[in-house]
Amino acid sequence: MANDKPGRFDHLLPILKRYYGYFWFGTLATAFSNALILIVPYLTKLAFEAIQQGQPSAAVFRLSLAMVILAVVAGVFRFFMRRSIIWASRKIEYDLRGTLFSKLLTLDPGFYHTSKTGDLMAHATNDIEAVRMMVGPGVMQVVNAVVSTVVSLAFMIALSPKLTIVTVLPLTLLSLVVNRLGTLAHKKYQIIQAHFAYLTTRVQENLAGVRVIKAYRREGSEIDRFAEASRTYIDMNLSMIRLVGLFGPMLAIIVGGVTLLVLFVGGREIMAQRLSLGTLVAFFGYMGWLTWPIMALGWVISLYQRGTASLDRINRILNTQPLILDPGKSKSSPTKVKGKIEFRNLTFAYPRPDGTTGAPVLSDINLLIEPGTRLGIIGPTGSGKTTLVSLISRLYPTQAGQLLVDDIDIRLWPLAPLRRGIGFVPQETFLFSDTLEANIDFSAEENRSGRVVEAAMLAALHEEVEGFPQRYETILGERGITLSGGQKQRTALARAIMKQPAVVILDDATSSVDTETEEKIFANLETILPGRTSIIISHRVSSLKNCHRIVYLADGRIAEAGTHDELLAKNGPYAALYRRQLMEAELEKM
Amino acid sequence: MGPAKSISDDEVLGKAYDARLMRRLLTYLRPYRLRVIASILLLLVVTVLELSGPVLVQIAIDNYISVGDNAGLVRIALFYFGILVSSFVLAYIQFYSMQAIGQRVQYDIRMQLFRHLQAMHLGFFDRNPVGRLVTRVTNDVNVLDELFSSGVVAVFGDIMTLIGIVVAMLYYNVELALITFAVIPFLVLATAIFRRRVRDTYRDVRMWLAKINAFLQEHLTGMTVIQLFNQEKRTFNRFSDINEKLRAANFRSIYLYAIFYPTVELIETVAIALLIYYGGLRIGISLLTFGELVAFLQLVERFFRPLRDLADKYNILQASMASSERIFKLLDEPPRVTAPASPKTIPDFKGEIVFDNVSFAYNEPDYILHEVSFTVRPGEKVAVVGATGAGKTSLASLLLRFYDYQKGDIRIDGMSLKAMSPEYIRSFMALVLQEVFIFSGDFAGNIHLNRSDITAEQVAEAARQVGLGGFIERQPQKYQTEVQERGATLSTGQKQLLSFARALAYNPKILILDEATSSVDAETEALIQTALDKLMQNRTSIIIAHRLSTIEKADRILVMHKGVLRESGTHQELLALKGIYYTLYQTQFNFANGSRNHAQV
Repeated sequence: MANDKPGRFDHLLPILKRYYGYFWFGTLATAFSNALILIVPYLTKLAFEAIQQGQPSAAVFRLSLAMVILAVVAGVFRFFMRRSIIWASRKIEYDLRGTLFSKLLTLDPGFYHTSKTGDLMAHATNDIEAVRMMVGPGVMQVVNAVVSTVVSLAFMIALSPKLTIVTVLPLTLLSLVVNRLGTLAHKKYQIIQAHFAYLTTRVQENLAGVRVIKAYRREGSEIDRFAEASRTYIDMNLSMIRLVGLFGPMLAIIVGGVTLLVLFVGGREIMAQRLSLGTLVAFFGYMGWLTWPIMALGWVISLYQRGTASLDRINRILNTQPLILDPGKSKSSPTKVKGKIEFRNLTFAYPRPDGTTGAPVLSDINLLIEPGTRLGIIGPTGSGKTTLVSLISRLYPTQAGQLLVDDIDIRLWPLAPLRRGIGFVPQETFLFSDTLEANIDFSAEENRSGRVVEAAMLAALHEEVEGFPQRYETILGERGITLSGGQKQRTALARAIMKQPAVVILDDATSSVDTETEEKIFANLETILPGRTSIIISHRVSSLKNCHRIVYLADGRIAEAGTHDELLAKNGPYAALYRRQLMEAELEKM
Repeated sequence: MGPAKSISDDEVLGKAYDARLMRRLLTYLRPYRLRVIASILLLLVVTVLELSGPVLVQIAIDNYISVGDNAGLVRIALFYFGILVSSFVLAYIQFYSMQAIGQRVQYDIRMQLFRHLQAMHLGFFDRNPVGRLVTRVTNDVNVLDELFSSGVVAVFGDIMTLIGIVVAMLYYNVELALITFAVIPFLVLATAIFRRRVRDTYRDVRMWLAKINAFLQEHLTGMTVIQLFNQEKRTFNRFSDINEKLRAANFRSIYLYAIFYPTVELIETVAIALLIYYGGLRIGISLLTFGELVAFLQLVERFFRPLRDLADKYNILQASMASSERIFKLLDEPPRVTAPASPKTIPDFKGEIVFDNVSFAYNEPDYILHEVSFTVRPGEKVAVVGATGAGKTSLASLLLRFYDYQKGDIRIDGMSLKAMSPEYIRSFMALVLQEVFIFSGDFAGNIHLNRSDITAEQVAEAARQVGLGGFIERQPQKYQTEVQERGATLSTGQKQLLSFARALAYNPKILILDEATSSVDAETEALIQTALDKLMQNRTSIIIAHRLSTIEKADRILVMHKGVLRESGTHQELLALKGIYYTLYQTQFNFANGSRNHAQV
């Protein structure tokens, strides 16, 4: 296990501190309950002696009754032990999960490109559970073990030092064995996990490559190879079983051995009149109370190992610096986007997780978009179109050069007004599995009555929605209906319109909408949102014809720019693309 | 999205015990029934040995300690020691043998699943995400293993122990035994209430956990939208709501455990108190010995032991029922596109392919191919061209019988595809896919794909023929060099050449090639074209072509358009037609290959 790195508990401790009271109370409750329940074996001793001495049965009855009363009171304390410590651990789990999620809300798209959603989900569930097990049941068991060991030992030494040594020495051996077996098992477990991962990869690869496997009739050899891997897996498991299989019988033989020793040594003491039978019986009782905590310690060690490993994984996220820092509001900071956008000598490369950057995706971009104009962007896949417009919403940090919104550097804009003023409709439509209304009104605008319908109308979606049985209450996604690609895009568009942004950016956002509807949408945007700046990325020249200006991007540079007619006259790549698309349209009609 | 999918799948919570599923699960034990019986008998012996401890304590106290028989005490201590050692050995053997059976069953189920998947038709894989299927074969089977190796047997062992304790108590003293048993109804009641409540809260906890997962899955994927719309705060509040519901469900389960465990401890203490009081009375009138009372106390303690991990066992049972339900559902899905009852073979193979009015739909009635008819003569090289979605790839898939066509027939040398087994058909065809699939492993493995009758020489020869020999031989371990990250470090061209070498090594009589659309540099392009020549030599070849240079090599060109075969002929003939091919040629090939190829025409 790695040494405690500085700061491992930095995020956890402040949360823990909130619940120190619970832990103290829980510890006290544990101490009391153990101290009380451990009187029971002593009472057993007294009862035996009373029976032996032929005392009246009332004395024995009193002792028996005392045992039950002790158990009741101890039980109440036991209840509070769980109620406080485990309770606190659930609160810590809740807080930690909240902390993690609020951190995730600040991280940029770059982070999400390099992390797997499945991993992040595992951090928020499994890893947090492992941390909870460490601070909840783990802490409880440690307290429990320490208290019951100390109290049992005190009683035992008082009763018979000799028998105490006879009992404790083998039980110490037990804790050593548990610990040793645990360490060995942990190592084996990791090897087995690695092989399990291999097994998973084999299945994954086999299923992903199913076409090749079928075409080349490799089913048989794939089965053979998988059988071999599975066999290795069970062989490894069996070797693990040979190890952990020792655990139960070992426990039985050590506990049995202690019983035997106590019986033998104690028996001789009784015969020599140095010990009462009652004391012997009490020892049998204490033995039982000692065995469980000692075993639990091994378990606690693994809880700690797993908990800290999980905590490290969680910390890695909590320690991630967001690339986009909100400058926050100040007196001089702008509050409303008007719609002028300017790129000055901008060069951009995607930041890598290790802090370096890759090859530039955009180079020397100089572009002025006047308020109220419509700009078209076109160019081959991978030419940097999406990157260019993502920068305007500040999804990525700008590096060399400048990006100005209303003549103010984008880094000086507080995020909220900037993003409120920009209606960015990304290429990949993402809708939530919620009602249509909730999706369109995602920005949770005030006075929304009627505006959802209005936005849907502008996005040419309203008529179709009217056709749904539940209209705007229709639920989308797995639990509800599946929209067509075009409907999804128009919903996303309506969602952006709902904000009444000063700048509308459509990143190939109407690709699944037919040309006529697209025309209608553009016309709607024009008439109902006058004075708005719009930026439209498209693969279809026909979508951009009416733009005030069209930029042709290639390899992250502006290859040519101008109006549709100007670009056609230049007879460059734009013109070539236009001719090709005209012919494709003809082909489609054949 | 493998892991995420499987998580939401796991939330299918069935009953904790389903007799139908359990019966089916138990059939997997049938091949090992002798071992199972032996293991159960051994378990019986171990139970008896372990319960003999209290009995020996009784004998030691009553027969030796009480009367001061030192030698007798030594004798019984030695005997006790012997019992401990043999119990240790037998318990270990018993545990191992039962676990070994569990592991074998795990292996059997996993292999059955894997074999089943290998036999499934492609339509099945189109419908089922890989991640979900992987979870069935891996995690779900592991859950079942727990049931076999610990759950069932542990419960069985517990029951035997309980019976043994009851018998031993009754043997010692019927009256005292009955007094002790007076606590059992309370215990049963407490357990029953606890179990029902735990089941409900467990279900609640799982449900809210599933909701957390679903929420995370959705909102982490849509994080950009949340940020673009400044909805971080609202999203956080919605998350907190679910998180709080989960916490509340967990709080409820804390109460259950916090009440249940002390209650069991209390009942145990009551049993001990009852024993001591009534035992004391009986000893007073010499109806009971001290040793017997001590034995009783120890038996009672063991009686309560199995209850300590009751909740865990219950959870294992519940989880395994859910897993087995999912596994059986997959196993019950019948494979389609199977061989006919008496598959035929082609007696005199020439390699003539006939499409006779073939219509095909992945999902009826959305037909992808409409009454397609054409003939490819033995040894002919035919290029299939068409716009995206014209049905070219479907043609190739049908030839390999990945799917079954609905109407018409496809014949090879006059023999219908449906009369032959898919394996046989694939034995004389090779398919090169547009997207090259590289397996993890070495270069040789990616060429011979573990077919043992392809020799190392043949592998090297195939690689050399396609012009990849030099590259591989420069690698540190030559053909045994591992391909890094499933080919991520190889160039597109190298990957294509590797797939060509694969096809060449299999030496097919019919070649079906779906040409890659991605552009490569001129040098690689030349390499690929040379390799393609080698590949097509002396073979009936159907190439779904995207490159002009490939098309020009073809003897004939078939033009697919919207699922219909529209034109057929040589390059020049089709150009002269000024039809679809002409337009396609102008748009696709001109641009895809740049001006360089244009100049060649």
